[in-house]
Amino acid sequence: MLVLLLSSGAWASPPRARIEFWTISLQPFFTGYVQGLIAAYERAHPDVQIRWIDVPPQTIEQKLLAAIAGGVGPEVVNLNTEGTLRMAEARALVDMDGAVPPAARGRYFPNIWSSTRSGGAAYGIPWYVVPNVLAYNRALFRRAGLDPARPPASEEAFVQAATAIKARTGVYGFMPNIDGIRFLRVFQEEGLSILAPDRRRAVFNSAAHVRVLARYVALFKQDLFPADTLQRGYLGATERYAAGQLAMLTTGPQFLLRVRADSPDVYRETAVAPYPLGPGRVLDLPTMELDVPLASRHRREAVDFALYVTDDANQLAFCHLVVVFPSTRAAAADPYFTRAGQSPEDRARAIAAGELGTARDLTVVVPHSDELYRAFREAVEQAFYGRMTPQQALDWAVKEWNARL
Amino acid sequence: MERPPLGLPAPPAGQGPHPAGSPGAPPSASPAGRRRILTAYLFLLPALALLATFTFYPVIFGTALSLFEYNIISPPRFVGLGNFRRLAADRYFWIALGNSVRYLAVVPVLQGCAILLALWVHRSARGIGWLRAAYYLPVVTSIVVVGILWRWLYDDAGLINFVLLRLGLARGPIHWLASPGIALYAVMFVTLWKGLGYYMVIYLVGLEAIPPGYAEAAAIDGAGALQRLWRVTLPLLRPSILLAATLSAISALRVFEEVYVMTGGGPVYATYTMFYYMFDQAFGALHMGYAAALGVVLAVVTIGLSMLSFRLLREGGLSYY
Repeated sequence: MLVLLLSSGAWASPPRARIEFWTISLQPFFTGYVQGLIAAYERAHPDVQIRWIDVPPQTIEQKLLAAIAGGVGPEVVNLNTEGTLRMAEARALVDMDGAVPPAARGRYFPNIWSSTRSGGAAYGIPWYVVPNVLAYNRALFRRAGLDPARPPASEEAFVQAATAIKARTGVYGFMPNIDGIRFLRVFQEEGLSILAPDRRRAVFNSAAHVRVLARYVALFKQDLFPADTLQRGYLGATERYAAGQLAMLTTGPQFLLRVRADSPDVYRETAVAPYPLGPGRVLDLPTMELDVPLASRHRREAVDFALYVTDDANQLAFCHLVVVFPSTRAAAADPYFTRAGQSPEDRARAIAAGELGTARDLTVVVPHSDELYRAFREAVEQAFYGRMTPQQALDWAVKEWNARL
Repeated sequence: MERPPLGLPAPPAGQGPHPAGSPGAPPSASPAGRRRILTAYLFLLPALALLATFTFYPVIFGTALSLFEYNIISPPRFVGLGNFRRLAADRYFWIALGNSVRYLAVVPVLQGCAILLALWVHRSARGIGWLRAAYYLPVVTSIVVVGILWRWLYDDAGLINFVLLRLGLARGPIHWLASPGIALYAVMFVTLWKGLGYYMVIYLVGLEAIPPGYAEAAAIDGAGALQRLWRVTLPLLRPSILLAATLSAISALRVFEEVYVMTGGGPVYATYTMFYYMFDQAFGALHMGYAAALGVVLAVVTIGLSMLSFRLLREGGLSYY
């Protein structure tokens, strides 16, 4: 009996550090992968025990706050850049520039590491990134008299194709990513700045900015994209695309899995092309980070575990399971990313890997982000619904921003 | 005889140290009386404990929180009435308050429809039980499911637009949830649809409680159906109307889920309500103290409105005659 108890580990000394690790929506598809990561880490670090909790994306920030308030917050938490910056603004996160040794920091793409930089500190260790690609319905292209072998290569051509598709088939060509505050990204994709170089002044009311907004407002008034575009965002676009009611979808490649599951017919007609870049030749790179709350009781172990999850080998293994991309240079250089297969996902992988060089996370880092984002969102919507001219809307938003910056 | 506390029956004569009827001997002074009171409080204890934990404590804590600046992570900082002063100049507060007050328009419509529905199903007919159950079904359906369902129905390519276009009643699809002028009313209709069955049941109970003699006497006196409804049924139904209207007004001021699922507060903040703003401030911006101040204002409006309902509708019921 004694031998059995000893061999079962029941009498083993308790772990020195218990690390609670929160992820966003990785169960059930990646349960095995994450459990494997944890098991390997615990084998290598017998004095550390990892407890994994998977949380839906819509509620992770609320749950995180409640957990921190209750003194039971996680040691390592997965947030996107916006979430990380919001928590950093509340002084809830560890400064990773200080916590991670320079040699380890050097493994990551510098532009991706800087995604969460605010006030001279970076608050997250970059995990995986998901650059947008263009997925399009070849059948709808053919119905509109467009060549499915030649998808639009620029933003200009993208809008022209969408216009032709709507006119010739009655089906919407595109749903631009302009909901919420995404127009800030549109401006940057057009090569336009949001802030002055000293970051103390908003500058998005220049004639060029107004021209871009006015152009999209005109497209909206011509009914060239659905009326709910401003509310539904990429989820609405994916639903509409999967229903065969949208010809082109600009989104992260992982959404193709949803199209494959929901609409095999549409998926069969789907082809993938590089994201049609605007004049700025810059591509948005939504990034997922691993953050360590300041309330963490085992900060050193938490940072070590986060570095382990995001190391080259583990990121590469994750990228083999789903169309996401690593934030470390060595992993991204793996030949796996340049081998183009036949399926839309394989094509998307090869295309997106090529885009990594021009991409960066276009999240705008500002203090009082909730107030500034709210004003920007309202200004853009006022312009779209004709309650203000684009010039008036942007002037008003800039005034609101400058009063708080 | 003096009324015993809590409405309990008076102790039987001869019990306790004081002789029955002796002056200055309250029933609670006897051990038996004390025991009865204790028993009553023991029965109340579970409910009181629940109320204290989940209602009184949050109310007190929330009210106190409205005087602080607090983001959960840093320690709270006392700001006095600063949060309330900020409200006056906050345009989103006024937008949200305006929308919430506008949302109250759903109350009379909902109550009118529920009364008519209750009158319709308040009769014995074959299959009437099924009909009542059918109207109650939305009440027990998850609001998230309801929101998603109606989002599909309201879609440009949804059933409502399909029917309107087929009947030639619209020239193009109506953007029910994407037009700032319509969206709030479209969401209000969902509240009405979902709440109809609930209030119908309240009115059904009220109708059951009305003795049929009143309507029969009115009919003998020559009153028509409409007169009987207006002069007999509705006045006698007033206690139910008071209850239902108050509950419905409170719900309208607290609307959140429908908006969250269907419009996200848009377009152009047209459906941005007080509860939505509180949620945004608390969990989006981490301004817990400010969100609590919004909650206090909403509570004051709700209490004021409830008092108004009581004042307007308290006369009625069987005391009407």
